[in-house]
Amino acid sequence: MLSRVAESLFWMSRYFERAENTARFLDVNFNLLLDLNKITPIENPNYWIALILVTSDRDRFAELYSEYTAHTVTDYLVFNKNNPNSITSCIGLARENARSIIESISSEMWEQVNNLYHYLQSVTPQFVHNDPSGFYKEIKNASHLFQGITDNTFSHNEGWDFIQIAKYLERTDNIARLIDVKYHMLLSEAQNQPEVVEGSEDLIQWMAVLKSCSALEAFRKVYLSKIDPDNILRFLILDRTFPRSINFSVCAAEDALWRISGSSRHRYVNNADRLIGKIEAELSYTAIEDIFSKGLHNYLEELEQRLVKVGEQVHLTYFAYHTPEIESPDVDEALPFTGIGGGRANWSQAQQHQQQQ
Amino acid sequence: MSRFFERYEAETSRFFDEVMATEGQARPHYDKLLERFRQFSFDDIKARREIINIFFRNQGITFTVYGVEEGIERIFPFDLIPRVVPASEWQKIEKGLIQRITALNEFLYDIYHTQKILKDKIIPTELILGSQHFAREFVGVNPPLGIYIHVTGSDIIRDKDGNYLVLEDNLRTPSGVSYMLQNRQAMKRAFPVVFEKYQVRPIENYPQELLRTLQEISPASRREPNVVVLTPGIYNSAYFEHSFLARQMGVELTEGKDLVVNNNKVYTRTTRGLERVDVIYRRVDDAFLDPLVFRPDSKLGVAGLINAYRKGNVALANAIGTGVADDKVIYSFVPAIIKYYLGEDPILENVPTWLASNPTDLKYILENLGSLVVKAANESGGYGMLVGPESTIEQQEKFAEMIVANPRNYIAQPTISLSRHPSFFNDNELVGCHIDLRPYVLNGKTVTIVPGGLTRVALKRGSLVVNSSQGGGSKDTWVVDE
Repeated sequence: MLSRVAESLFWMSRYFERAENTARFLDVNFNLLLDLNKITPIENPNYWIALILVTSDRDRFAELYSEYTAHTVTDYLVFNKNNPNSITSCIGLARENARSIIESISSEMWEQVNNLYHYLQSVTPQFVHNDPSGFYKEIKNASHLFQGITDNTFSHNEGWDFIQIAKYLERTDNIARLIDVKYHMLLSEAQNQPEVVEGSEDLIQWMAVLKSCSALEAFRKVYLSKIDPDNILRFLILDRTFPRSINFSVCAAEDALWRISGSSRHRYVNNADRLIGKIEAELSYTAIEDIFSKGLHNYLEELEQRLVKVGEQVHLTYFAYHTPEIESPDVDEALPFTGIGGGRANWSQAQQHQQQQ
Repeated sequence: MSRFFERYEAETSRFFDEVMATEGQARPHYDKLLERFRQFSFDDIKARREIINIFFRNQGITFTVYGVEEGIERIFPFDLIPRVVPASEWQKIEKGLIQRITALNEFLYDIYHTQKILKDKIIPTELILGSQHFAREFVGVNPPLGIYIHVTGSDIIRDKDGNYLVLEDNLRTPSGVSYMLQNRQAMKRAFPVVFEKYQVRPIENYPQELLRTLQEISPASRREPNVVVLTPGIYNSAYFEHSFLARQMGVELTEGKDLVVNNNKVYTRTTRGLERVDVIYRRVDDAFLDPLVFRPDSKLGVAGLINAYRKGNVALANAIGTGVADDKVIYSFVPAIIKYYLGEDPILENVPTWLASNPTDLKYILENLGSLVVKAANESGGYGMLVGPESTIEQQEKFAEMIVANPRNYIAQPTISLSRHPSFFNDNELVGCHIDLRPYVLNGKTVTIVPGGLTRVALKRGSLVVNSSQGGGSKDTWVVDE
């Protein structure tokens, strides 16, 4: 498979997953505020700041808006084209990547990306404001549909594996950020009240974390009614069977990487395989107490950094392929890996406009 | 007569109408089509239009218009009424094109080898050597099978008497064939019943024929040749077509950065290392193909590609330097070229052409700017052109200056009133729109033309310019056995 095609599959998938996760964060936040309506004024900025923290670009937000409200944060995370991680930007980039490999993906996959893109072009802020849940559900369903279409119309070979790697790396990163931010917020708010009380505001917030991972029902099946932060973290980080847990996602990314290279548990072929294998092995033998003794925030931050390293190695191993004796390093390839739209999209745009015969 | 056609004004006294022989009297090969359309109501047409719009949009069949800020991607306008070409007329077009392509290919071989035609003074030497598309680096290079032009899209029009004339030979990277194929798909989707009464010759085998042609020119006899399509990238207006053809042929679509040359051999970069390439169907202009030989600032090409080509390690379709033969000045010599190499009279005529480089012609051109169509010799896609009767005095004066400054670069032709075909406006009115025809000619061990081609329609009321970049659309084209 062409390296460029593999890279575009990777980024198409990653941006799609990112859009879905952003929709989840926003959706849950709206529901949370409704749940807490009696206690908290609906425009309480703390809940909206948290969303900006999850996507970790507070500075960029501050440049564009003066306050954290439902309106500004929704605008920034859904529509703003200057925010490369807004839902509109992500789907635009997913589509650009898909368009550049339109001959390699199934036409059904293309139609789904393209449909969602056109849907987003037609949506207004007022529409989202009137029915936020309906809108976010539309985005989540579109993403699920895309994954389903991909699984059922696209050969499960190397290209499909690159899609899986991207999806699960992105998902792992998002779960880690979500837990980190929520834990941080709850911790600072709960200084004077370390016990989590049934029916308290804290509990509702922890349930919201589960909901944003579609994990509440699955969690209840395992832990019945014992909703406490330790169990929630144990589930979201260490559960091996729930598809929106960190452990599951890391395993899935590892499987896909190993299928591509032919690595196995006892023999790795490249650094991407080695790094993901190491994360997976550690997760397998980690107890939640180990994480607490290290400090949850430290643990998650380190995990996020290690995931970035995995992404870099995937890039070096498969996308930036060149044999040193053939060519001098290309300036374009020295850039950090970004996929289409992240920085190298327009470099030759003018030249591509050749007159057509 | 269907309700749509009752109010249709064919103006047969002023134009050749493809459908109506006289007002109220259709040509026989359109009878059955009109009979079908008579059964459709306005609502039927609207519903079918919706099916077709969704088909095109979902397929991503859009066209990029340069220099327009909003809406860079547009759906290529499609007209619902197919054009019908009877087999007897098609036979003449087919023969004429085969003759023309054969002669032009011999001409190119000659120009890049002994230049006999120049020595015999059939064509002024300076016109060839002064052409910006003459690639002197390729004199003496032998392309596989001696073929320079593998894919041609000649533009054919009909004059007021219905004669088929060649308006332009596009010998470099002609586009539009994907629209020909998709138009047929769209018609079958929206109007299956209309096909019942006709023996429409199939065109769906074009991608296979193209692949066969490309495989035939592979320089390596070692194995199944590895063919790739080379595109400038997703911002090129014909990107959809490049990816479409790659997918239909089942070959890789590559950009310049996917290819690498080592030891005069061309490879693709893959996730598993380098893979050898034998044939490149390139949709990148000559000037951008190789920064080491042509434009050094090209980001679209492959460094070292031209040397690999010269060494015979890779084949390019079309070959380099073919533009010298589709230059609008050389165009006027094509009848002489056919006569010179084949000893035959042209089966398809040219449109009369005046060359600004010829002093007598120049005088005539400058005196008649208001009635002529002036074209820049090296432009394509409807750019750099003056349509006399539609132009202002200022535009004419500006062109007069440009022509005098650089006469080699301009030609003029009479304003031919292209034939017209009824086309839907707003799906409730039929208007006579000017059309042309672009058949696609494949030239390998044999010459193949899939029956029909792309009929382009000038969908701006009264406009003569059919190019998609200038608001043109297209319609399905049927070659039917009578």
